Amino acid sequence: MFSKNRREGIGEIWNWQITATCALILFIVGALAISFGPIHLGIADIAKTLIGMDGLHGQERTVLLDLRLPRMILAALVGAALATSGAVYQTVFRNPLADPYLLGAAGGAGLGATIAITNSGGNIYGWLPIFSFLGATLAVATSFFISGRFFAEPNTLLLSGIAVGSFATAIQTYLQQRHSNALRPVYNWILGELTVANWSIVSWSSVYILSSIAVLISISKKLDGLLLSDEESFSLGIDPNRLRMIAVAAATLATATAVSASGLIGFVGIVVPHLVRGITHRVTNRSLLTISLVGAAFLVVADLGARSLLSPAELPIGVITAFVGAPFFLFVLRTRRITHS
Amino acid sequence: MFKKDHIDRPVWVSPVASFVMVLSLFTGQALSQQPAFAALASLASLASQTPHKIISLSPSATEDLFAIGAGPQVIAVDQLSNYPATAPISHLDAFTPNVEAIAAYKPDLVILNSGATKAASIKSALQKLKIKVYFESAPTDMTGAYKEIAELGALTGRGTQSQKLIRSMQNSIKKVITSARKKTSISIYHELDDTLYSVTSETFIGKVYKDFNLLNVADAAAKADSYGYPQLTPEYLVQANPALIFLSDAQYGTSAASIAARPGWSTMKAVANNHVVALPEDIPSRWGPRLVDFYQFIAKSILGVN
Repeated sequence: MFSKNRREGIGEIWNWQITATCALILFIVGALAISFGPIHLGIADIAKTLIGMDGLHGQERTVLLDLRLPRMILAALVGAALATSGAVYQTVFRNPLADPYLLGAAGGAGLGATIAITNSGGNIYGWLPIFSFLGATLAVATSFFISGRFFAEPNTLLLSGIAVGSFATAIQTYLQQRHSNALRPVYNWILGELTVANWSIVSWSSVYILSSIAVLISISKKLDGLLLSDEESFSLGIDPNRLRMIAVAAATLATATAVSASGLIGFVGIVVPHLVRGITHRVTNRSLLTISLVGAAFLVVADLGARSLLSPAELPIGVITAFVGAPFFLFVLRTRRITHS
Repeated sequence: MFKKDHIDRPVWVSPVASFVMVLSLFTGQALSQQPAFAALASLASLASQTPHKIISLSPSATEDLFAIGAGPQVIAVDQLSNYPATAPISHLDAFTPNVEAIAAYKPDLVILNSGATKAASIKSALQKLKIKVYFESAPTDMTGAYKEIAELGALTGRGTQSQKLIRSMQNSIKKVITSARKKTSISIYHELDDTLYSVTSETFIGKVYKDFNLLNVADAAAKADSYGYPQLTPEYLVQANPALIFLSDAQYGTSAASIAARPGWSTMKAVANNHVVALPEDIPSRWGPRLVDFYQFIAKSILGVN
């Protein structure tokens, strides 16, 4: 492998055929996801409707275009956002356990969501996205503010993120105790769900998520410099603090958007980056596009499970991501260790 | 019976009661059958047993107590017990009860819901303080609701009144069902919140719908939740096409107009024919005397829906 890289130059640090394969997988699982549901829709009719020809009509058309399609696209967006920001956080903090919720984003979003839910009763989706988005971004901003100039030491930021997260969770728990009727909605939101996906959620979240991912991919070469020590990366012409700042800001924007659209879906941010790195044996951040594609595909499949396994009832998607993700992740970890030794 | 387990018992009761008990031990049953002694014995047992400082930590039990005439014996009710208006509402929390706050009222009976946080340990803590506890578990059907009324009646010395209330409830509900029950079933959807949580026919409220021969669309998902509260997928609801929708989230802003805006819902039978009913706030979740009102409300709502 080493000799091959040498022969073909630095451009071959990443094998783009893998990326193309992952894009194909995403396309296939996306097609599968919009083909299944309680109402039977013919595959030919689905294809015709999607390319604008005369296909489905009336209620069936609504089911495809307004229920299944936005939900599938939202799952893909959220999966891409969580996987990509997870990978970036792991690089920035040089910590394989870092996930997108690390800097207080989960606690902050949870607090925001709980405030929205306890004040809106059964009409849960009115203010929830905005409040959880604000909660997540404010929590991360607070973590930054507290760690201040000590940001040069990523662990300080990490610890202040944990403190801010716990603080927000404490208030959240207090609110839940005071409003027992909010327990179930909050619990469900914590496990994540895409039940109320619609085009307006898809359109605003795609703007934030896609632009954040674009920023992260554009700095992916420089991010590799953070894998070295700060002195070494500085000698490569990289300002590690500035780079970390941009990376964390973009990853946080993507995470906060994902969280506000679908709740706290766990494990995607950890399992997907490690999966891609484990299977390809490469740690470079040039895999970011691939990681986002795999994250998207993973969540599309998980959501198909969430709405099919107990059909016609829903299962929280976080249950599936962890239930499928954890054993698969362990499997990859193990095979990887064996090949290394 | 005459153990020292009631701190608020008048001091004279114990010696008198012991005297009666000792006497009856020596003389067999004969003495206690003497009218004067029997009256004394029942007075003693009444004074020691009938609670007159009751705390109700259950809105349903509060309604029961006042309906059977035990209202004057109630000294405090939890902050959600808003009916009847004369109930002595307090800051006590039924969901996270505080033993010390309860004990400060010096109650002789506390009605505690088994769904409260750490209910079992709250119960034993209160019992350690020599406070009697009635452990209420949410009934799953009318039989359970009647049983609670009967038990509260027996506990508070209002046995006759509670039996009378039960009989009148049974008669009224029977009358409502006979006149309003659907000959051919119609399909209904009961919405708990806008994430499409619903109730199956296994739940209390589901059984009320069943009494009217209504077909509950959530029953298809009955296996998903062992307590009968599944979350339905949006696509299934569009497919199920209910003829009537009950909104228990109307108090939070969900309305016929807001559900018509959901993708695929405007063509739903219930929405197209404007058969979307906002449920009243408390009645559907109070398993007490106002269940009659709830039955009447449902009867009115299904009138003319086919």
